[in-house]
Amino acid sequence: MPGLRDLQAAFAAHLSGVDRADLVALVAGDSIPAAARLDVYRHHVLESLTAALAATFSTVQALVGQEFFRRLARDFVRGCLPTQPVLAEYGAAFSAFIDGYAAVRNLPYLTDIARLDWALAVACQAPLGRCLTVADMSVVPAERLPSMSIVMPQGTALIGSPYPLDAIWQASQPDAAEGTVDLNSGPCRLLVLRRRHDAAFTTLGAGEEAFLASLIAEGTLEEAAAAALGREAGFDLSNSFARLMALEAFAALREPAP
Amino acid sequence: MNRPAGIGLRTPHLAEIDCDRPPAGLLEIHAENYLSASPARETVERLRSDYDLSVHAVGLSLGSAEGLDEGHLARVAALVKHLEPAWVSDHLSWSTAGGRYFNDLLPLPYTEEALDVVVRNVERVQETLGRPISIENPSCYLGFAHSTLSEPEFLSALAHRSGCGLLLDANNIAVTAHNLRLDPQDWLAGLPSLAITQYHLAGHAVNDADGEAILIDDHGSRVSEGVWALYAEVVKRFGMRPTLIEWDTDIPPLSVLLDEARRADRIALSEESRARAA
Repeated sequence: MPGLRDLQAAFAAHLSGVDRADLVALVAGDSIPAAARLDVYRHHVLESLTAALAATFSTVQALVGQEFFRRLARDFVRGCLPTQPVLAEYGAAFSAFIDGYAAVRNLPYLTDIARLDWALAVACQAPLGRCLTVADMSVVPAERLPSMSIVMPQGTALIGSPYPLDAIWQASQPDAAEGTVDLNSGPCRLLVLRRRHDAAFTTLGAGEEAFLASLIAEGTLEEAAAAALGREAGFDLSNSFARLMALEAFAALREPAP
Repeated sequence: MNRPAGIGLRTPHLAEIDCDRPPAGLLEIHAENYLSASPARETVERLRSDYDLSVHAVGLSLGSAEGLDEGHLARVAALVKHLEPAWVSDHLSWSTAGGRYFNDLLPLPYTEEALDVVVRNVERVQETLGRPISIENPSCYLGFAHSTLSEPEFLSALAHRSGCGLLLDANNIAVTAHNLRLDPQDWLAGLPSLAITQYHLAGHAVNDADGEAILIDDHGSRVSEGVWALYAEVVKRFGMRPTLIEWDTDIPPLSVLLDEARRADRIALSEESRARAA
């Protein structure tokens, strides 16, 4: 008889789709054959992980339909099983998998929608911390601000796409009104944030996106403003900063490194 | 005063329970769904003031020959420390091998070697949490020909050696007994009453496996009549314990779960008063 470690390795191989005669031989069969009994587990692993992906990538599923999503998810699961038991944290590689999936080439925005679904799921699992307030700002001498950087709230993400992800996402929600989305309406830039009861995104201007990308990379406010102006000549720093602060997009000010 | 039955806390019911605080003897959460500081966990933190909590893990993989995932154990331990639940539990099964997680309660051969592995892993969890945990009997779809112990013998030895409690899932007993051609009465007869800490109840599906009916523990319907009868038998034999209704697929309105919980109360009270009268 195999030791437990070998038995579990054989069972794991079976669950990954490899038929193992040595494992079948270990299972007590009767009027229900051993192979059929083993298949209950293989089926459940595939189905439950597919359901977990459908919960995280609900917009992707809405766009491709339940049947096709099942096929897509099962192909992903077979090659990329979770490495840990928290299902909300499973699927980091799903958007890259979709990117290489030949059967969805006709939906070029699907990879970016998967990235958006994933970013929203990650933000939803992030702790809700305090955010930067006007009072915090008022105690810092104005001349020190340019050399300071910003601590971003956990779960913050920027998602850019040549497709109108926001419109596609809205049109895919269960309560969406009938309508069409113009895929050629230009690029979109989204900021994903943890909200009090969930996660949400907001659209950004080109300058704002460059500003936030610089801050996320721990650039100083001066560097971030320069990046924003480099991208969008008319970038209005104080206006955008106030808007982002009102969105609670900043956690705190960070002193410059000594 | 006996504790009324409780329910497994599921995402679609969170807001309603948070708002209405319906009577329930306990609420159980799946540990793996609350390891992050999500909005759902904030709701559970609020519910702590009105309900006793049970933290039910599904991913510790206590039967893994390669030992526990220490990173995951540390996260579960942090949640337990944070919520201070009345009960902590996981299953007699494994789900991780070679660094891959299979999201199922996979069966163990009931051998002395497997017993040593599970005892070691349960002891490691209890040492980390600083408290005993309870181990639930799984639903089985197969048995290994080289098992040398029955499931109740394995559970009894595990409880004796590790000091863990036993969480009896009446639905899982019924599912395993049907699928492995066992007698549920024999199954119950082998268990140490003192180690039993909690009961679970849930619905199952009946599927076809090569022309034969196989019961699937899908937690997707009301408790079956056969399982209610078995639950009455369990209460008659071991007495009342904190009891819980689980429902995980095709989740119905909260009122349906609460209705099932009240039925569990009626059965338990009637069995207990019958036992007192006898």
